[in-house]
Amino acid sequence: MIKQRKWFAIPGFLTLAAAAAILSAYAGASSSQGNSPVQPVKFPHPTHVQTLKMNCVYCHFSANKSPDPGLPAMSTCMGCHTVISPQKPEIQKLASFASKNQPVPWVRIHKLPEYVHFPHMRHVNAGVTCQTCHGQVQNMAQVSQQNSLNMGWCVNCHVGRSNPPFKARYDCATCHY
Amino acid sequence: MSSETEKSGVKRRDFLKVLGATGAGATMIGCSSERVEKLIPYFVSPDQTVPGVSTYYASTCRECAASCGIIAETRDGRTIKLEGNPDHPVNRGALCAKGQAALQGLYNPDRYRSPMIRRGGKLEKATWDEALKLFGEKLAEARRNPGGVAFVNRHQSGGFPQLLNSWLAGMGMAPAINVDPDADTTAIAANMQSYGVPWPRYDFNATRLIVSFGADFLDGWGASVPQQLDFADARARGADAPRLVYIGARRSLTGLNADEWIPAKPGSELAILQMLSGASTVEQAAQASGVDAAKLTALQAEFTAARPAMVLASGGAANGMELCLAANALNQSQGIVGTGVSVIGAIDSFAGIDPLSHVRALGQRMQSGAVTMLMVHNVDPVYLMPKASGFAAAMAKVPFKVSFSSIADETSAMADLVLPDSHSLESWGEAEPVKGTLSLQQPTMDPVFDTRPIADVLIAVSKTGTALTPLPDYRSLMISRFPGGAAGLSSALPKGIASGSAPQPVGTKTLPSPVTAANPGNGDFALIVYPSPALGFGDGANKPWLQELPDPVTKIAWQTVAEVNPATAKKLDVENGDHVIVETSAGKLSLPVYIYPGIAAGVVAVAAGRGHAESAGRYAKAGANAFNLLTYGEDRAGGIVLTSTRARVSKDGGFSRLVTTEGSSRQHGRGIAQAVMVADLGTGATHEASGAEHAAEAAPQGSVSPEQQSRAEGNKAAAGEHGAEAGHPEFPGDASHEFLPGLRSPTAKDAQGDLGGPGTKSKDKGMYDPKHWSGMANRRWAMAIDLARCTGCSACVTACYAENNIPTVGADWQGPKVLPDRTGFGANITRSREMSWIRLERYFEGGEDGGADFEARFVPMLCQHCGNAPCEPVCPVYATYHAPDGLNVQVYNRCVGTRYCSNNCPYKVRYFNWFGYGEPARPQYAFPEPLNWQLNPDVTVRGKGVMEKCTFCVQRIREAENRAALEHRGVAPDEFTVACAEACPSRAITFGDAADERWSVAKLVNDERAYHVFEELNTYTAVVYLKKVNHPSASSVASASGVSAPSGSSSVPSPAGGH
Repeated sequence: MIKQRKWFAIPGFLTLAAAAAILSAYAGASSSQGNSPVQPVKFPHPTHVQTLKMNCVYCHFSANKSPDPGLPAMSTCMGCHTVISPQKPEIQKLASFASKNQPVPWVRIHKLPEYVHFPHMRHVNAGVTCQTCHGQVQNMAQVSQQNSLNMGWCVNCHVGRSNPPFKARYDCATCHY
Repeated sequence: MSSETEKSGVKRRDFLKVLGATGAGATMIGCSSERVEKLIPYFVSPDQTVPGVSTYYASTCRECAASCGIIAETRDGRTIKLEGNPDHPVNRGALCAKGQAALQGLYNPDRYRSPMIRRGGKLEKATWDEALKLFGEKLAEARRNPGGVAFVNRHQSGGFPQLLNSWLAGMGMAPAINVDPDADTTAIAANMQSYGVPWPRYDFNATRLIVSFGADFLDGWGASVPQQLDFADARARGADAPRLVYIGARRSLTGLNADEWIPAKPGSELAILQMLSGASTVEQAAQASGVDAAKLTALQAEFTAARPAMVLASGGAANGMELCLAANALNQSQGIVGTGVSVIGAIDSFAGIDPLSHVRALGQRMQSGAVTMLMVHNVDPVYLMPKASGFAAAMAKVPFKVSFSSIADETSAMADLVLPDSHSLESWGEAEPVKGTLSLQQPTMDPVFDTRPIADVLIAVSKTGTALTPLPDYRSLMISRFPGGAAGLSSALPKGIASGSAPQPVGTKTLPSPVTAANPGNGDFALIVYPSPALGFGDGANKPWLQELPDPVTKIAWQTVAEVNPATAKKLDVENGDHVIVETSAGKLSLPVYIYPGIAAGVVAVAAGRGHAESAGRYAKAGANAFNLLTYGEDRAGGIVLTSTRARVSKDGGFSRLVTTEGSSRQHGRGIAQAVMVADLGTGATHEASGAEHAAEAAPQGSVSPEQQSRAEGNKAAAGEHGAEAGHPEFPGDASHEFLPGLRSPTAKDAQGDLGGPGTKSKDKGMYDPKHWSGMANRRWAMAIDLARCTGCSACVTACYAENNIPTVGADWQGPKVLPDRTGFGANITRSREMSWIRLERYFEGGEDGGADFEARFVPMLCQHCGNAPCEPVCPVYATYHAPDGLNVQVYNRCVGTRYCSNNCPYKVRYFNWFGYGEPARPQYAFPEPLNWQLNPDVTVRGKGVMEKCTFCVQRIREAENRAALEHRGVAPDEFTVACAEACPSRAITFGDAADERWSVAKLVNDERAYHVFEELNTYTAVVYLKKVNHPSASSVASASGVSAPSGSSSVPSPAGGH
């Protein structure tokens, strides 16, 4: 009986180990794809981009010159909204933040781990559109994460398998340092 | 910052405080993106800054009186790195370790976060309104008896002393006492008397012989950065270089850089100096100093032959003033003043430093009850004044004590009111380091805490009292006297310097008659207390980078040791780490012994700077306070005497592990630090200068027999073996084919993947193919380190800590607390867990018999980025691999912490995160708020269980590539450099692309002195060392004619060979 138990234990252990490995692999690859949190102020990208034809870099002002895309300062919002639609409830929310000298605490959606360095300007200047990574933001009343932002997804493009094809270094230390 | 300030109605700090999308200071914990993170925008975007891109502000370093120019790199409102200002006349782009560590003064967790008022015996937080009200009341009270007010000020060049003294004079008070603990006030007084300038510029090119009488001009004596630059330049001239002879009882860092050390009894330097000037005979000097007469005769002969020689002398001895004056007189009589010792380019910012006798006299006045109000600004006299002077007890008698200290220390802990000064990186100012040149100081960021610049406080208070000035703050005062006003200042700020002069302070002080009758006590030993090269006389003790920086000489960190000679140790029957009791008439300490051959017999040396009281914060209390051992005495110039105390040394029972980063002080034939005789330069016979066997010709096992030492031939054979040799049979693992120009190393494509022999070569080499579209394989990032220039000062080490978010691991809460003898400060380092990506190895050659005739060699050791790296094939998860551009890359997120790579690294340059030094939630966290504000957002903060090492500052490579791409061009030759090279005060390190001959490094790697460490291992390192150049004395060359090794440095390997 004791011997038999031993024989059960070994494959049992192996199965457990395999399961753990698979689970942890999936866990490591977890991403926030599809994440679409409610923002403290509803910011309709379609209104600004499609209706008003505003350029992305009007607000995300450093996307073409810095690793950091830039987030519009409160003064950028209030520059227009002091006069434009001040009566709308969402604008009033915005104005109440502004009147208290508080920035809006936007909820972050697209997030790479700290050990990844993603220079926005290199991508933008190479002709990669914002939509390639961020999806059709101009159509999103509430922004959601369209792509996994996992490494495989990045590398797919770097090695030239995207449509249209782009080519970029795929050496680890290009991004990881 | 720019001249625009708080006009917009929003306080600048409100929108600078919180930052955009970059997660500075966030750590690498897991991959989870589930945590809700907020993106906080600016309220108003600051002008002229781009988030994620650094802004650079020129300013002035205030860590010592030299007033070097700095460039502060500021990212998203936080200053993250300091570099030297290349346009500055003093430091010409270099910056020492202390200067680098100014950032840890700015972000120090033990800084005062608001004004403090003593209530019920305890310092309690207060608002500025309360504090200023109290200060105003007390000032008004004190004005009734202005003679009872004393001000001890941190010496500062520029306009502030003038403002302070006129503020004091306006109330009828005496001028401030200006203290700089690290300045040699005795030498300054002598210089003023002899040359009329406080600190002349030393041009070492003008002489063939430098004789230093305890003048540590490379470690901190005077303006060490320009002195290092000039010394390295002079020494780089090979055969024309000056020889350096060091005379003193302890061989300091400068002494280790000397070609010859003459250990003289403490206080007997003057006898030798008089011998050189002809005032006494060799016999007299020999008798007084205990030095062999033959040695002195040789020195005298060399001195006469080398005329004009340069003579440097420091204070510290009881006859320090006489020594310094005699040295200056000797320079004058030889006619080197005007060439080698120049008043043109003199460092003027050393003017106005008062000797400590003023503070001692103040103590006596306080003791007598004559002082009713004491104000202290950024000086810590309670620590600085030896216990024997009785300063602390006297200070307790003062009814009202005000401290302007920005950081907690022993003095401010006794204060009744603390009005914390802003850090120099947060406030306006100017210095006049060279006459007629203003070095501007501007805030590089908003104040970290609720502090105010002292000048602004004085101006604010004087408005309610006397009308000192109608101007609102110090900046307006600067503008009002700046040529061209606000516009002139704005246009000068980007450069950091302007022509002009700072106003001179009013008021005179008379030197108190010195306490010369210091009772040295009795004992068999002479005690030497010397300033720690990293910590000075205690200023650096609250900065973990400087505490963790191993002393360049002893390699001890976080600890205070008693240094004794090997013969003394034998006599006392102690080994390294055994405790001895050092007892003087002033006090006693039980200290672990460090056996150092660079100490004269009968001398015990203890470094000052450590051992602060609990009140000085979490880092400063490490070690022991050497000042407690000093009997109090002054020299004629009022400077404190450091070398005349007698001590009794006896064995104590205890044992402490030395907190050292050193494995062995000997090379054991490994040929790590190689040297060449100056006479052999340019002859092609660059053979070994002394005992270190050239590793390339060593037997594979590392044991070298004396028979194997036909050096010149061995060298040639070695070079031929590794050259691109035709007809060499290829075999698996051999990497000796296909060389990139400029570096004896294979291209990266060989190092990775295709080592399986000719039959197994794959067709697709990807980026490792030089023809690949990325072109990465056409670069080879490399470094050349010139050991003839390197002085071992270790500025590179601190620069690396600052640039690469390297955690310090020696604080007492960071170590394991299991074994009783391995706890407390430095516990991790006793287990070799320091994280220093670049370390300074210091090796002794010769002098195995304990004699003074030994040589020291310094080798900065960092990841060698081997072309054929032993660490790479052993990694089971490919966390370390070779990049096509020659970098040996460590991918933190792949690393699982097997440590195989570290085990396999012959250079021991890989460092493992044994604890979560980078993780805020862990008890061992190395960056307590706000130290983490300094973290470089371009570099990942490593988590627990991850291996790390030098990356060749890959973030700077990427930044340069990104910048070049934005400007549609390639990276220009020498466009950027790495952090260690940028800081190096002797310009020993050159970084660049060795495959492109336009880069400076490409020429250096082909230098006749170039060698690779452990070349015989076929590692094909990307770090090339240039051999140190030895300058033997004429007499030793004569006596050893035909033998390459100088006397005393035996060519027989030491018995403990091997690794």
